[in-house]
Amino acid sequence: MHVNNTYPKVTKFPQNRKRMLSIVRWPFFAVAAAALIVNLCVKGPFWSIIVILSLYVIWTFVLSPDLVELNRISQTIKVTVWSSILLVVIDLLFVHSFSLFVIPIVCFSGLSSCIVLFFTNLETQKHNMFPLINFIFASIIGSLITLHFYHGEDSWPLIVLLSLSILSLLAFIIVLGPDFKREMRRRFHIK
Amino acid sequence: MKNTKPTFSSFTETLTEAENAQLQEFFSEFDTHFLLSKNDRKQFRADFEAAILLLYKKGVSMSEILSRLALSNLGGFYARPSVMWFPLDDAAKIYPISMDHGSQQVFRISIYFKEDVIPELLQMALTFTIKRFASFATTLKKGFFWHYLDTVKKRFPIEEEHNLPCQPIKVSASGSQSFRLMYYKNRVSAEFFHVLTDGTGAMTFFRSLTAEYLRLCGTSAPLGDIWDINDTPTKEEFENAFVKVEKAKTSSGFVDKPAAQMNGRLTRRKPCRILHLKMDAEKLRAVAKSYGATVTAYLLMQMFYACSASTDELTGDINIQLPINMRKFYPSKTVRNFSMYCGIRIPIEKIGDKEALLAEINAQLLQKAEKEKMREMITAAVNIVSSIRVIPLAIKQPIAKMIYGMLGEKIYTTTFSNLGVVTFPEEFMEHIDSMDFCLGAQVTNRLACTAITCAGIATFSISKMTLDPAFEEKMYQLLLADGIETTVEGSDYYAR
Repeated sequence: MHVNNTYPKVTKFPQNRKRMLSIVRWPFFAVAAAALIVNLCVKGPFWSIIVILSLYVIWTFVLSPDLVELNRISQTIKVTVWSSILLVVIDLLFVHSFSLFVIPIVCFSGLSSCIVLFFTNLETQKHNMFPLINFIFASIIGSLITLHFYHGEDSWPLIVLLSLSILSLLAFIIVLGPDFKREMRRRFHIK
Repeated sequence: MKNTKPTFSSFTETLTEAENAQLQEFFSEFDTHFLLSKNDRKQFRADFEAAILLLYKKGVSMSEILSRLALSNLGGFYARPSVMWFPLDDAAKIYPISMDHGSQQVFRISIYFKEDVIPELLQMALTFTIKRFASFATTLKKGFFWHYLDTVKKRFPIEEEHNLPCQPIKVSASGSQSFRLMYYKNRVSAEFFHVLTDGTGAMTFFRSLTAEYLRLCGTSAPLGDIWDINDTPTKEEFENAFVKVEKAKTSSGFVDKPAAQMNGRLTRRKPCRILHLKMDAEKLRAVAKSYGATVTAYLLMQMFYACSASTDELTGDINIQLPINMRKFYPSKTVRNFSMYCGIRIPIEKIGDKEALLAEINAQLLQKAEKEKMREMITAAVNIVSSIRVIPLAIKQPIAKMIYGMLGEKIYTTTFSNLGVVTFPEEFMEHIDSMDFCLGAQVTNRLACTAITCAGIATFSISKMTLDPAFEEKMYQLLLADGIETTVEGSDYYAR
């Protein structure tokens, strides 16, 4: 059976990420398991949780990034959320009660960066606003709940975060107008 | 495409005053057709200039060029903000959920012209055609409950083919499209992520694109049943036609027992080879008729023989998945997905006598690919989608992915999709050589088969996931044994 080649010669093959992931998966599992075993042997606080979470963060950001909606805003929010989660774990395990002060600052930085990214390229980024809106709502709800239960001298970052979240939400509604409503309808459709 | 501005300005100096005036008048309205960024407008203008330059060099008069490239072909598509969006149809919902790195449901349709493709005109043809198919001018987005398609207004670039066929399309970036259009020598190929459309929808788009390309090349013909790119799209063309099908009293499931798989090691690069067995369509039809079968049933019969020759299994079933176009039961103009499938399952030990095998295939086709069975399957699909619609995507995605991974391809040995006969007006046919259609990478199955007929040539294509040549060699021999002369075209091995 003679085959006439009618296809171009492929000189550069696409990266085989699936294969790479199947190979890299094992060192990752090994490191996670080793951390857990060492942690159990030496006892003390569960620092291996931080190792495992950090490995997961590397996995999801570097090795297996999002397949849909991988944009600057979604990634900035993802970094902020994971940094906050890690900070909470560190707080719970080692240094107590710093997270209430630090996490609002981290979220404030993340939110500010996203707002700058958003409003400097409005036409393109208005299609990427959903993760940002989610983050804003989460910040508002989180800040309100925390402020309800905790109100100390060092709670000013929470108030700043809450203010920025409310202001940015209002800015979205005013600047985007009907686009905002349309975007919400799309994002929450169940059709 | 390179920016042709310097060449174009020097070209305008060589034109007569009247021609320059015509050009000036043409471009005076240009900006009003594009509500896009300056950069995008520049790219569109470069495309127009390149096409004008090329046609002029070919000896076409300026008035004829400007009439072919009339800005009215753009309609208001690029001049309006992108506000349209499309929820995924019930069949498409699984594709973004189940996709993975390097694994995506992609298929490809190609047309071979008698002359080499002119990229400048192909780009213009796409620019003009895409507005008619608004659900193709979209980007995949993630909602809280489901993915959806969001309209994107931009230049959809064509590219020269230099990669493996049917590779996953990068849909993650902002404004990224879910299809690609490529050219290589005399071939134009369009690859689609299944989330956009099925084979029939893709063919509707591809025929319009081909007609538009040939019109720009200077061939005019009455379009017949080809969609006119300047018609206004209707709601029916974008509908999720599954929900319009009246529900059946019972619903048939998607679960079945695993099928025997062909032997041969799966390659790392998938597909590792594409093969097209080209044959005379009339001869194929006559041979099928001599067996008392349709072309689909005849090719299925040969596939069963070829499958059994490609596996060392002595027991178990060979199950060939056969997509069924629902439009033949429920007429619809939708260009979204509207197909279901059935499995033609035959135990390996029963694959012997031709007559008995063909009788069994015909019986199963009658029983499984009939309207009521399909309605039951649609009911099952619609019920599943409806029952999980209020579960957040973040929760249902990993579960659905796992279930799809467990069922998925394992219940089939291979797939056979026949797009049937594709026709064009006589004037266009003079420029068309043939067509082919192929499916992308499979996870478990060793190959996937397709068929399409155009310009009197039937093309049976095989997308291979293994280096084992048993299947195609057997298929070739079987066709030859029935007196069907076959020319084999295809790619080199992409993996060793």
